[in-house]
Amino acid sequence: MPNWLDVNPRSGVPIYVQLVEQIKHALEVGVLQTGEQLPTVRQLASELTIAPNTIVKAYDELAKLGLIESRQGVGTIVVAELDGTLRKQQQEALFQRLQVLVRDASHLGISAEVLNDHFVAAIAQFYQQQLASQLRQEYEQRS
Amino acid sequence: MSEKKSTSTAAVKKESLPAFEQTTAIEIHDLVVKYGSKRAVDGLTFKVPTGAIFGFLGPNGSGKTTTIKTLLGFRQPDGGSARVFGYDVASQSLQVRAHVGFVSETNSLYDFLTIPQLCAFCRSISLEWNQRVVDRYIGLFGLPAREKVGNLSKGMKSQLALSLALGSNPDLLILDEPTAGLDPLARHEFLNTLVSEVAAEGKTIFFSSHILSEVEAVSDWVAIIRKGKLVLCDELDHLKQTQKVVKLTYTELPPATEIEMLNSLPGVMSLAQEGRSVRLVAHGDVDALTQTIQARPYALRGVETVDLNLEDLFLEYMKEKNDGR
Repeated sequence: MPNWLDVNPRSGVPIYVQLVEQIKHALEVGVLQTGEQLPTVRQLASELTIAPNTIVKAYDELAKLGLIESRQGVGTIVVAELDGTLRKQQQEALFQRLQVLVRDASHLGISAEVLNDHFVAAIAQFYQQQLASQLRQEYEQRS
Repeated sequence: MSEKKSTSTAAVKKESLPAFEQTTAIEIHDLVVKYGSKRAVDGLTFKVPTGAIFGFLGPNGSGKTTTIKTLLGFRQPDGGSARVFGYDVASQSLQVRAHVGFVSETNSLYDFLTIPQLCAFCRSISLEWNQRVVDRYIGLFGLPAREKVGNLSKGMKSQLALSLALGSNPDLLILDEPTAGLDPLARHEFLNTLVSEVAAEGKTIFFSSHILSEVEAVSDWVAIIRKGKLVLCDELDHLKQTQKVVKLTYTELPPATEIEMLNSLPGVMSLAQEGRSVRLVAHGDVDALTQTIQARPYALRGVETVDLNLEDLFLEYMKEKNDGR
């Protein structure tokens, strides 16, 4: 099974939604690429011990979005990377989340300055980590 | 053993399913089954769509097993009706059984027979028999092929019962607490085969259980019954998407009139207040509901929507019913 799939049946989020989101995410970050094959419904049902219909539902949803396609005798393959519109939608959703965060912070009595400091610190931390792991990789490749 | 058609002389031949019944495997309508004066099943109505893995839930003594016995023709309805693929369970139970495989909680397999002997016996009482299928499942489970049934563990007996139930190539598999008493590994293996082999072939699976977590993982439809009555029946995904808890925190103590107003909003199933905190169990378009609430003139410090898993839902519904009594 693809190790990037991690379904929790005991969550309040429907299993098919979890599958759709995780496959979308895999496309987004490039773990899954055009032409790659997804596990068959039966394989995935067996790996995750979930109802085949649930997987069919998730694959249908992804097919409707034009991201995957089922082909006779070949299986289900990825036909498109996340296109611009979908990515834009996700970006907008993220900015909305950011607004909610700012509102929550103000309710908690966090001042704009303090929030900004934390935001800058979080950005610095993330990109430093990325930079560090990039350097580490380069070093390992050389040695 | 070679594949053989049964030479059973039963009066009914297994026929292919009538086209008009292809979308509904089980249809129960206003079913009543009594034990003496006690109504074990009390006006039960629901449908099981073809191809579903349908989890049938309820507390002990809620009427699950009685419903299943009625579906299989072991009990006659005292009122209402039940149909399996369009066949009436009371008057056409032979046709029903031709399409149904059954695995029960207390599988009374014959301990003194070996597995091949038991297969031969089952073949002799079935309208249709495919030994290759049975052998395949026996192989999948890794059962000792020539062993006496009495020497098998409980988990192995369940696996054997499932293998045998599939021998008659049923379109619908009815399982009564199939995993009761199995250890976690045996339970996992059993359920895994059920979803990845049996359900993947398009067979409808109707199984009772009181282990919510297993139902939650493997089923796509659920029904909950209590005291012989239906509490809910829905697609599990739909249920999770439309039933939520909304937690409201008011800036100041909301007046009693406002609480009454909240309680009367469409989609609010129940409400509990503790000072400035209000907890709603909501149904339907929960986003619209929270927007309505946020537009009210009472200031809110926080609005939180919480997803419910099957156990939460089950408990909420049981609470609901208790309150109503």
